[in-house]
Amino acid sequence: MKLQCLGKQLFNSSANLPRIQLSSPMEAHLWYIIPSEVQSQSLLNQYAEILSPCEKEIVFEMRDEELRKRALLARALVRTTIARYQINSHVSPRSLKFIKNVHGKPEVDWQHCEQWRPLPLHFNISHTSSLIACGVTVDSPIGIDVEKKNRRLKHNVMSFAQRYFSKHEVQVLSAISDPQLQLQEFIKLWTLKEAYVKALGRGFSDAPFKTFTIRIRSATKGSFAGNSNFEASEIVVDSFDDSMDLTSDWKFVLMDLAGSHYAAICTKKDSSIQGIQITPTKLTVWKTIPFVHDECVSGTAAVVIISG
Amino acid sequence: MASITGSFTSLSCSLMPNQAVNRVSKLGSVSLSISGKSFPSLRVQPARFHASCAAKPETVDKVCKIVRKQLALPDESKVAGHSNFASLGADSLDTVEIVMGLEEEFSISVEEESAQNIATVQDAADLIEKLIENKGA
Repeated sequence: MKLQCLGKQLFNSSANLPRIQLSSPMEAHLWYIIPSEVQSQSLLNQYAEILSPCEKEIVFEMRDEELRKRALLARALVRTTIARYQINSHVSPRSLKFIKNVHGKPEVDWQHCEQWRPLPLHFNISHTSSLIACGVTVDSPIGIDVEKKNRRLKHNVMSFAQRYFSKHEVQVLSAISDPQLQLQEFIKLWTLKEAYVKALGRGFSDAPFKTFTIRIRSATKGSFAGNSNFEASEIVVDSFDDSMDLTSDWKFVLMDLAGSHYAAICTKKDSSIQGIQITPTKLTVWKTIPFVHDECVSGTAAVVIISG
Repeated sequence: MASITGSFTSLSCSLMPNQAVNRVSKLGSVSLSISGKSFPSLRVQPARFHASCAAKPETVDKVCKIVRKQLALPDESKVAGHSNFASLGADSLDTVEIVMGLEEEFSISVEEESAQNIATVQDAADLIEKLIENKGA
């Protein structure tokens, strides 16, 4: 089925995926879907139609209905998102093939494209029960993670942190006296660490959480938590085994997403830009129900940049 | 979280959110190593830890109990040895919490690298018994 460009907002039209441009490695796009907003069975069937047989099998063998829906939406989100950036009309959400890199990180397999050079798009997904997100970049690896802001841990925050986080991070967390605030900062740190490891794409065991530290540095002097003036703040990662990672290569964005989640995005800095000056990532965020409705939410209350 | 895979060429793969699952589609003669996390029939243990025999049923049961508790699963939901954490709705934070729960229950210490390689109840049970055995030795 040929995709039309700039389709009308027709319900049940799988041709409706407006084209998006992504040209610079300094840019990152984030697309997210709220599962509870997708109730139509016919829409879910449409999503199932674009999955590969392999994916369909895995989705439909899940017994729990909610989990099945979530898995379905995640795959549909990835496929439709990537398809939006393709100029060539031979590429449809269904035609995309995926491959794992040598460490197991999923990537698009462009090998089957004969006639044209596809955009070197990278993607990464993350989900919670109430939000599924897909980040895309061109020419840069990307890792994202989302977590619910009000997530409860079964274990004590500090014993969790002591077990899995670096010494510096433990220090920062233990300096926060309010337990609610401490939990929130923990979750923010978790999303940043997850995003970093996923961006590295080498598998968790190559970068255990304890071996690197993430710091949020604000340009103005002040304490880390409770300092609302984060205008010029910067998130950096230090690794104890710097020989492997060149940690100065990575940059982060941390945000409050849809009022309900923290989201972290990690991408690689443009190596052609020299010097200490860090150019912030230009981030655009869309809320989507693929084939039905896309809404650019950057600059609205749905996206509040915390740092980066 | 990412899984360990060997070298391979083109596969059409399915993806569990935040987990990697490999499936094989026949593409001529390609030698693949698979960590088939949600398909017991295709399972190959990652080279990193070899369990020579499966864990005792009691261990598996205890793991199931901890998993249920962490994921707040209803009593009717089926959790067994081959149950994959991601399929039960666990994300990476849940997996780490499950491991912490297991450490407390069995008085063992799981290395971070091993913790993230646990994808199923059986993986966890096998690792636990191995660690208990090493402790006793």
